[in-house]
Amino acid sequence: MFKADKFIEVTISNLKKEISGKALIAFSGGVDSTVCAALVNKAIGKNLVAVHVDTGYMRKNESNDVKKLMGRMGLNFRFVDASKEFYSALKGVDDSEKKRKIIGEKFIRVFEKVAKKEKIEYLVQGTIAPDWIESGGELRDTIKSHHNVGGLPKDMKLKLVEPLRDLYKDEVRNIARELKLEVSERQPFPGPGLAVRILGEASPERVEVVREACFIIEDEIDTAVKKGNMEQPWQYFAVLLPVKSVGVHGDRRAYGDVIALRSVESIDAMTCNYSGIPHDILDRISTRITNTLKEKVNRVVYDITNKPPGTVEWE
Amino acid sequence: MVKIFVVDNGGQWTHREWRTLRDLNVETKIVTNNIFFDELVKEDINGLVLSGGAPRIGLQETLGNIDEYLEKANFPILGICAGHQYMAHFFGGVAKPAKKPEYGKIELNILKEDAIFKGVPKKSIVWESHNDEVTKLPISFICLAESESCKIQAMKHKNKPFYGLQFHPEVEHTEYGELIFKNFVKLCKI
Repeated sequence: MFKADKFIEVTISNLKKEISGKALIAFSGGVDSTVCAALVNKAIGKNLVAVHVDTGYMRKNESNDVKKLMGRMGLNFRFVDASKEFYSALKGVDDSEKKRKIIGEKFIRVFEKVAKKEKIEYLVQGTIAPDWIESGGELRDTIKSHHNVGGLPKDMKLKLVEPLRDLYKDEVRNIARELKLEVSERQPFPGPGLAVRILGEASPERVEVVREACFIIEDEIDTAVKKGNMEQPWQYFAVLLPVKSVGVHGDRRAYGDVIALRSVESIDAMTCNYSGIPHDILDRISTRITNTLKEKVNRVVYDITNKPPGTVEWE
Repeated sequence: MVKIFVVDNGGQWTHREWRTLRDLNVETKIVTNNIFFDELVKEDINGLVLSGGAPRIGLQETLGNIDEYLEKANFPILGICAGHQYMAHFFGGVAKPAKKPEYGKIELNILKEDAIFKGVPKKSIVWESHNDEVTKLPISFICLAESESCKIQAMKHKNKPFYGLQFHPEVEHTEYGELIFKNFVKLCKI
């Protein structure tokens, strides 16, 4: 059986041996990277530099909150706003695998810049089992290239340290609880961020649409959970689809985008079933999205696909 | 401690098989399907799991060194998905692309009681993810379970401790998956 306390002890002692000098951690503020940062911080202290990149594809206020989190954790951190670079790298790109690879490479280029300036040799990543499993290689088929595995550029010189490679999300959460980290119950969020929740080109205009829709879904579901009207789903968000549909807005024809509401239940992300959200909550979400984003979105659909055959994210 | 290795055929859930065994306090390791039988014997293992793999992997004429394990092993072997299809093919059955592939939630119907299904109700929910299937049972095997679209969901060798499952007992969403693994671990202890 997996024991968090034992894992923490062994990992810290291994990290002390593995890392000589300074290391940089790719810090998104999710459960995996936060747990990883806490462990490496215990092993090498101020020799760990936490870097958070605002890619322009983070959720509402997220990068700002992450900055505060790094402060509260007492991390030696850097904050890089690279949103303009990410937007221009993804301009005109609509293939999902290409998007993921470009994002993976962009991340590394940002980290390399910091590493060069601060003479850092090691890159710590919160990679967990589903990331490398789905990224494929050799015998295994590529389901999607996770930015931190399949998206790494081949010429990268930083030495990779990935202490959570053999773990699944539920085990990482156990470690987070053991370490009393405030992020232990945070819902998963993909490394490429909202860029993979916009099917087709992830332009700055379309990011605004999906960001607001994600915010509404999180807000409505979190409120319903707090009121005891539904169970907390494993992951819940909006996807902006690349199709338009006809609607009617106050006796006038409307022709707008479609948002898909995705919410799933899982333990380890390797198999999922769609959440049975009560109809009155679905109703509130649909009305609020279409009324808030009225110029853009006039239809909301509910994704009722399990994994397999679907994956959690659409790209 | 029981020692059961997982032979990797490139499945998405190979590592989940490893985790399930580890959670049952089994000493376990993922090995490539090219490992020689002698090396497995040297490790003194009590059983082997053959993982799933991408479409058509289980239909190949040879799959790593798995022929050698199926020829020589006297310890239990559990073939899952592509591992199950390859096992059927090796013993003279037929595995081919399924007319109706199954993905996700399916109802399993157990046809014959057996140690591998001890404690599992006659009907239960299993999770599937297959493009190919066993269409003709080898004569040395008996069929243990079926689903609506796939007639050979589980099979067992008549004289050897070899089992094949088309569905995936290693994933969380398979209702009695852990119990099936526990039963397999018990068979490996004998």
